[in-house]
Amino acid sequence: MSLLEVTGLTAGYGPARVLHGIDLTVDDGEVVVVLGANGAGKTTTMRALAGAIPHQGSIVFDGAPLTGLRPDTIVGRGISLVPQGRGTFSHLSVLENLRVGAARRRDKAEIAADIDRWCEVFPRLRERSGQEAGTLSGGEQQMLAVARALMSRPRLLLCDEPSLGLAPVIVAELFRTLAEINREQGTALLLVEQNAELALGIADRVHLLEVGRVVAAGPVAEFRDNESVRRAYLGD
Amino acid sequence: MDIFLERLFDGVTNGAVYAIMALALVVVFRGTGTINFAQGEMALFTTYVAWALTTQDVPVWIAALVAAAIGFVLGAVTERTLIRPVRRRNDMATLVVALGLFTGFNALAGLLFNSETKTMPSLFPGGESDYVAVGGARLYWDALGVWLFVILVIGAVFWLFNRTRLGLHMRAVADNPESAALSGVPTGRILMLGWGLAGIIGSLAGVLVTPLSPHQLSLTTMFPILIYASAAALFGGLDSPIGAVVGGLVIGVLEMMITGYVEFIGGTLPQTAALVVIVLILLFRPTGLFGSRQMERL
Repeated sequence: MSLLEVTGLTAGYGPARVLHGIDLTVDDGEVVVVLGANGAGKTTTMRALAGAIPHQGSIVFDGAPLTGLRPDTIVGRGISLVPQGRGTFSHLSVLENLRVGAARRRDKAEIAADIDRWCEVFPRLRERSGQEAGTLSGGEQQMLAVARALMSRPRLLLCDEPSLGLAPVIVAELFRTLAEINREQGTALLLVEQNAELALGIADRVHLLEVGRVVAAGPVAEFRDNESVRRAYLGD
Repeated sequence: MDIFLERLFDGVTNGAVYAIMALALVVVFRGTGTINFAQGEMALFTTYVAWALTTQDVPVWIAALVAAAIGFVLGAVTERTLIRPVRRRNDMATLVVALGLFTGFNALAGLLFNSETKTMPSLFPGGESDYVAVGGARLYWDALGVWLFVILVIGAVFWLFNRTRLGLHMRAVADNPESAALSGVPTGRILMLGWGLAGIIGSLAGVLVTPLSPHQLSLTTMFPILIYASAAALFGGLDSPIGAVVGGLVIGVLEMMITGYVEFIGGTLPQTAALVVIVLILLFRPTGLFGSRQMERL
């Protein structure tokens, strides 16, 4: 059984339905990328998985259903979302942002050790630890958002377009770090991306999303050779 | 000189109470996004309870603590049962509920304790001769007591905000509620505790200010306090605790100076003066002195 099993997920905003029944799986320790054009429902899928918007259908994580749970409860179950646009606490210091990421945890010494670890992985965060998050650059804020999400020690990390608005060098570095985290911590990753080239570079499997439905899913290799995928997402 | 100093002392004393009342308003605004207009009447109700206890020979300090505890429960229960269900639908509805609570708590106090004026004992010795002379002016012990008490309350609130996990979570929810929830903060519980905290602060303001008030404890005691506190919170910035404290002191001193030195305003117009301050601030600096978030609806 997969770590995350989504079947028939529907969601939307008010009367407008965006997802028309998504099926999706992520295995333990796996990296899965969801590709799709603007408006395909990528962000909506991520937000539904994190419990941030109402939804129907079945989401089973580690054998237990998640549908209807509050976002903070879902974090406790082991899923953490790096939201699109980072969502850092702009008036809180970098250090405080990281502490809020550990909101569900009580192990003080271990929290301090984790803050130390992520400041090692993202040295810029240590340099700016006392600064308000709102004063950081876009790339630094994205690193902070990832580190904050990791502070809950998730088994599955959801990343919603982490490359958005960042310089190519920063994006490459970020993906390298995400791949490292996956390798070293065994954290499963579910990535939503428009930057397909980089995302495919670290992914095991791909889901293709079109107007609220998964139209194809499979190992990365299959997609690299798929003619229409190359044209639509890899700019060939 | 001495008359000026005495007015200054009186202004600081009143301002200290406005400051913590404004702090209560700011705590609620940061989390919920609206001014709780019922904050003053909640404090009125708990002050009546404290008064009733003192008539049963309960020491006034114990009565004040009980009032604070009831204030916490009132605030928390109000958020959970009345504010949260309507807030999801409409922000304006939150304001209407607060106004409803304003009249509701006032009527409840009138119903339970009748409308006769009561004498609320002070937390501090307040005799005619209990003062120290400072620069030819009298600084009464009870005024000093209020200052000290308010400093303690403000210190405790800032300690909570900046040094505790609960305070960190409150600030996170105020900053970005969705991100807070996605980080694992139980935002609903945090909002409820925020209203409870505001209830405690408001209740303490109530028991502090009524013995100073010329009309003692009556059904209209807290209304002007709320007006001044709102002006103070707007002046300092609705989302800034420091702003609330500075704003409270400024409004308190201004009130005394205006009633003392500007004859045509006298004893009845200072509330209007406070409202004029509100309007001027909203015109020229919508975020207040220290604030970052402006009032989007009122």
